[in-house]
Amino acid sequence: MLGRPLLRTSYEADMALFPSVTQRVVFALFLLFLVAIPFFAPGTIGESGSLPGPTFLGTSDWLRLLVTLGIYAIGALGLNILTGLAGQVSLGHAFFMAVGAYTAAVFGSPQGPLWGLGLPIWIWLPMAGIVPAILGTLIAPAAVRVRGLYLAVVTLGLVFIGEYLWRNLDFITGGSQSGRTFPALEFRFWQEEEAVLSMTEPATWFGVLNMSPTAKTYLFVLVLTAVMALVAKNLQRTRTGRAFMAIRDRDVAAEVMGVDEFRTKTLAFAISSFYAGIAGALLATFIGRTIPEQWNLNMSVEFIAIILIGGIGTVTGTLLGSAFVIILPRLVADLTQLGERLVREGGTWATILDPLVSTGSGDWGLVNTSAGVAPGLSVDQLNLVIYGVLIIGFLIFEPLGLYGIWLRIRNYWKGWPFTY
Amino acid sequence: MTSTAELTESPPVDSGFPTVAAMARSWAEKTPDAVAMREKDLGIWQEITWAELWETIRLAAHGLLALGVQPGDRVSIHSEDRPEWIILDFATVAIRAITVGLYPTNPAAEVEYILSDCGSVVHLAEDQEQADKVMEVIHNLPDLRKIIHVEPRGFRAYRDDDRFIFWDDFIELGRQHAEANPGAVERLMAEAKPDDVMTLVYTSGTTGPPKGAMLTNDNFAFCVDQIINVDGRLPGNRKAGPDDQILTYLPLCHVAERIFSAWHLASRGTVLNFAESIDTVQQNLREIQPTLFFAVPRIWEKIHATIFIKGRDATFFKRVWFGLAMKAASIIGRERCDNGGLDTPLSRVLNWIFYPLVFRALKERIGLRRVRWAGTGAAAIAPEVIRDFIGIGVPIHELYGMTENSAVATHNFWGRNKVGTVGEPYPGIGFRIDPETGEIQTKHRGNFKGYWNRPEATAEMFTEDGWLKTGDVGEWVDGTHVKIVDRIKHIIITSGGKNISPSEIENSLKTSPYVKEAMVIGDGRNYLTALIGIEFDTVGDWATRHGIPYTTYRDLSEKPEVIELIQKVVDETNKKFARVENIRKFRLLPKELDHEDGELTATQKVKRNAIEQMFSDLINEMYSS
Repeated sequence: MLGRPLLRTSYEADMALFPSVTQRVVFALFLLFLVAIPFFAPGTIGESGSLPGPTFLGTSDWLRLLVTLGIYAIGALGLNILTGLAGQVSLGHAFFMAVGAYTAAVFGSPQGPLWGLGLPIWIWLPMAGIVPAILGTLIAPAAVRVRGLYLAVVTLGLVFIGEYLWRNLDFITGGSQSGRTFPALEFRFWQEEEAVLSMTEPATWFGVLNMSPTAKTYLFVLVLTAVMALVAKNLQRTRTGRAFMAIRDRDVAAEVMGVDEFRTKTLAFAISSFYAGIAGALLATFIGRTIPEQWNLNMSVEFIAIILIGGIGTVTGTLLGSAFVIILPRLVADLTQLGERLVREGGTWATILDPLVSTGSGDWGLVNTSAGVAPGLSVDQLNLVIYGVLIIGFLIFEPLGLYGIWLRIRNYWKGWPFTY
Repeated sequence: MTSTAELTESPPVDSGFPTVAAMARSWAEKTPDAVAMREKDLGIWQEITWAELWETIRLAAHGLLALGVQPGDRVSIHSEDRPEWIILDFATVAIRAITVGLYPTNPAAEVEYILSDCGSVVHLAEDQEQADKVMEVIHNLPDLRKIIHVEPRGFRAYRDDDRFIFWDDFIELGRQHAEANPGAVERLMAEAKPDDVMTLVYTSGTTGPPKGAMLTNDNFAFCVDQIINVDGRLPGNRKAGPDDQILTYLPLCHVAERIFSAWHLASRGTVLNFAESIDTVQQNLREIQPTLFFAVPRIWEKIHATIFIKGRDATFFKRVWFGLAMKAASIIGRERCDNGGLDTPLSRVLNWIFYPLVFRALKERIGLRRVRWAGTGAAAIAPEVIRDFIGIGVPIHELYGMTENSAVATHNFWGRNKVGTVGEPYPGIGFRIDPETGEIQTKHRGNFKGYWNRPEATAEMFTEDGWLKTGDVGEWVDGTHVKIVDRIKHIIITSGGKNISPSEIENSLKTSPYVKEAMVIGDGRNYLTALIGIEFDTVGDWATRHGIPYTTYRDLSEKPEVIELIQKVVDETNKKFARVENIRKFRLLPKELDHEDGELTATQKVKRNAIEQMFSDLINEMYSS
């Protein structure tokens, strides 16, 4: 009933994803904002027009960052279903992403020196999810036998098996030297010449919208991410989602309650691998050319970092975590550059920042942008240190991550003027 | 529900006297799809429309006929508030029989007394607990033929006992009867007379056994005319209607909740929302956010205490804001109370500042944000409590009445609210204060028909010229409003010959969140003393805060620190009263008073005689030295 959000007369209302009108409105406005982002850049509408808003977001390098963010979010949503919801620690996420990427390559790339079938996107993108999902179900029995750390070790093994495989299956992966290209993001009905919609060519839509390839990719990934996130969110309130959580909290107890452990864990691996495969395929096609070594342990750890920093077990947290982990390196790099400039210019800022930034081979400092020349950490190394510190910090102080911090703030105001 | 909004008057009835049942039928004809009731079941509020409600009432009435209930027979209901209570009540009235309500807390002995006194033929025992009570005494109830139970669980022991019938089977029985005898219920409804007794309300009585007051269909109609429909009761004179929400949680066998819930439903189509239980009232209030809310003083005091305890427990920043807002609320409350409950420029400005900052959220938290009218009655309340609530914007109005006059006596009207009084007599009713004894007397169509099977007790209730003696001492305030002094029986005359009303002193004590019960003693003695029962939750909370370990209620009551704490409350009260009215000594009760132990009536009023006997050692101690 309007104005009485707690008066629920049906289970649909009781479980609604966005129970209040306010939440629905805020969510819709946020989606609109996301759609509008590419049009903040000058010249995107008509001759030289643009939407009012933060202009830098619409520029090509930030847009590329946001595309990466969306793709990572899809991958992280998958890991969150497996680790956050079903409680199965997995370090093998990069393996499934690689399977997805190479499936896409085999199905989507034109036949050349490497394997390729040249099929359109509506075949290769779903296949990039389905093939890893099948592989995931094959791994799942191991999860029924081993738990916790042991499962982490088993899945860690997957990454190394993967690296070996990708190096040696060079008729698919192109080998360590050159890597391979991936299918372009283009819509075709079949193998006709002209693509219906190509995300590699600029175009003008409706006569006024000047779409760069990145802008089109951005919108495509945005739609995919939104759909995958809604599916993941909805999963939490289905029978399957509740079974996942029961298994997470105590698998023996869940089985006593009638949850089929084998079936549930298999399903968790399958769904998670599906997400990973899609993310892997999109990442590879977006980058364009990758070498097999890219799908390594580091990538798996990055995804662990995303869900831990964002807030394990929550979709909102996963999205927050992706944004944090993707945008942080960019911020660190920008800030380091700024620091170096300030130190070179001298003045008060120089004295404060000098111990933090090293500017040349003789200058000791924590971080620099010219790796290898100056002493101190490179930006990438510093990022790893920051992830590490944050993961430890969040695990100890705020197990629900960034989402937990948000919850704390929200509950503070929800309780107003009381505390409980 | 919008389709019903234009219906402002109770719908007309074709034939027969407009009883509660006839009114329910009219609503079902006019607005079959509008929601009539909600009951929380399996986690969500299940809705019952008027069409469904009336169909169930009709089948239940047929069911009663199938069980052989004749016009004038008694049907008793022993249950917590739930839709079946009202369904069976209306069904009973439909076939011109008489409903008798029992308090869920009534122990087996009282069940035996009431059922044999009224000679009930069909009894509804909600669940196994109530069924066990009646089975304990069934050998002394020769008239009782059938026991209906609503909860299916726990009846394995009675499985083969054909005196029991499950509610669904009872309705099915009604369906078969309806098919065989179509129109039987409608014929009886058309024969309804104004003089038909519709219900017996057993008055709890702080002295002596309960007596069943007979209320007729005409009493009901008059009560609706006055209490529910009187002009000027609600803000803007917008009468109660289908858009209003009521939370039903007080016992329906008490006349106050019956009028406020069942009779509002029948006459105005107001939606009833049944609370899950008395323990979940605060949670249910938050969910329902009722627009009309009635509570007894005990509940208001409890909500009041909750607000202040939670406010004090809040974190620093919140505590500061809460403190400021409560200061403002007390100013607003004073301003409004001096102005009949309406805003003054100062209160308007303060409210304008603090409503968005604190009051809105605060009222949302306690579930009273949408309340447009709130009432209190059935016992005396401390004016401070009303003032605080009026300050935050919950317009509490005190009203006064008793079962024997269908609760029609006085009422605080909108904009003429005088805190500390019970308001003005309803316009045009017979109302007087006896100049000699100061007793309030009424004479109107709401006066009851008499006590069931007790002609001499009935005669005692009336003066020679036919006025009902309420037994309450009242006085006029400003010539328009009435203030209740006390029950005649409770007035204390000290050995110095001074008349003292203990209720005022007791209520002042009870404004402290630490005091649950207070009983002032001193009849025929040199000075006043008091027995005080602490509020276990709040005092326990206080003790924990001050690092005082305790185990039980008794242990807590005996702590010297607690006695000191209550001494401060007593001192505070003594300041407000004259020297002869001061409490010189007090003792804390070693146990929580309870209905089942015979210390409280079913409506949680202290049974003075019982207490004086039970704790005579404590009392003698206070007067011995």
